[in-house]
Amino acid sequence: MDEKRIRQDLREWILDRSGAPAERLSRDDMPILEEGLLSSLDVVEFILFIESLREAEVDVEAIEPDVFTSIDTLVDAFFPDIRSGLPA
Amino acid sequence: MATAAELAPRLSDASIRKSWDVYSAFDWPESLDPAAHWYMSPELISIHGTSVWDDLDETARKRLSFYEIVNFFSFVLYGERPLVSGLMNRMYRKNTLGPVTDYLHHFVDEENKHMIMFGMFCNRYAGRVYPEKKIVLPREYARGEEDIAFYCKVLIVEELGDYYNLKMMSDKTIHPLVARINKIHHVDEARHLGFGREYLRELVAEYRPAWNDEELASFRKWLVEYLVSSWGDFYNPAVYKDAGLADGYGIRKLGLQDATCRSFRTAASEKLVGYFQEIGLMTEPPVL
Repeated sequence: MDEKRIRQDLREWILDRSGAPAERLSRDDMPILEEGLLSSLDVVEFILFIESLREAEVDVEAIEPDVFTSIDTLVDAFFPDIRSGLPA
Repeated sequence: MATAAELAPRLSDASIRKSWDVYSAFDWPESLDPAAHWYMSPELISIHGTSVWDDLDETARKRLSFYEIVNFFSFVLYGERPLVSGLMNRMYRKNTLGPVTDYLHHFVDEENKHMIMFGMFCNRYAGRVYPEKKIVLPREYARGEEDIAFYCKVLIVEELGDYYNLKMMSDKTIHPLVARINKIHHVDEARHLGFGREYLRELVAEYRPAWNDEELASFRKWLVEYLVSSWGDFYNPAVYKDAGLADGYGIRKLGLQDATCRSFRTAASEKLVGYFQEIGLMTEPPVL
């Protein structure tokens, strides 16, 4: 799976879960938690979705809440090997 | 109806009478073969009644039952960890001094033993405790809301857990070690539930009248979401993978959406939801 597809899947999941309009997440540096798009309880489900995308478990003890700041930070934290230099 | 402070001395006496030693209570077999026994009652297995379940043969179902019981013990353990920490923080407060704090010591002692018991089973036979995926984000609370949310979480993990304990402790078809762990857990939890229900009722009566409509609606929304999320713990993609099933995340989604599984969750939550409605924290049974 390429980086563009991963970013798209992350965006769609967040918008679907939150019920927010697409313009709330039109750029990959737009805030997710700060804007209240996801709650603590949503994050549990979101981590399982991320695990399904990367086909590996997430070590929750190794991450801080700020990895959920934006799609950019999510890709950096959970898909570090897939960065291709595509613009966000 | 007795208050929590009136119940506490009786519960403390019962805890002393029924005290047990976690290190000598069990004869731990050297190893367990996942496919050789039932470890969870089949009707309690997360995907029971789904198309995926129907396609499994008995050996595959037994193997799944092993990883399901490891998952059950794992998330109850992780539910009890913040419970212990929260109970410790609530001891020796002005409103818990005396018999309530005396009972909280027993509550903590018993929860600590449960965590040891579950951890021993999971580590010894599965090589790990399934990690939880929770991240706590900071939030603001109305007055009394944090304590009420805490005891709601306690009741959810204990009431759902006890539903499973009750079914498995007398199930002769599952491995006797698992039945015994469920029995021991249930006996302690019956006291914890009695105390927790009464204490939460008193907290709600004290603080909820001062909440405005928005605060009450926000809490009710959170409580439904928390209960739904707690049921999600039963559908662990790692369990399905360890049991040899493909597309663990897809199976989780199937289980969460399947009508038979929904009916099961609704039935298993009926007592808990009825209690939350009775004390005014839920307005109607949620869609689970």
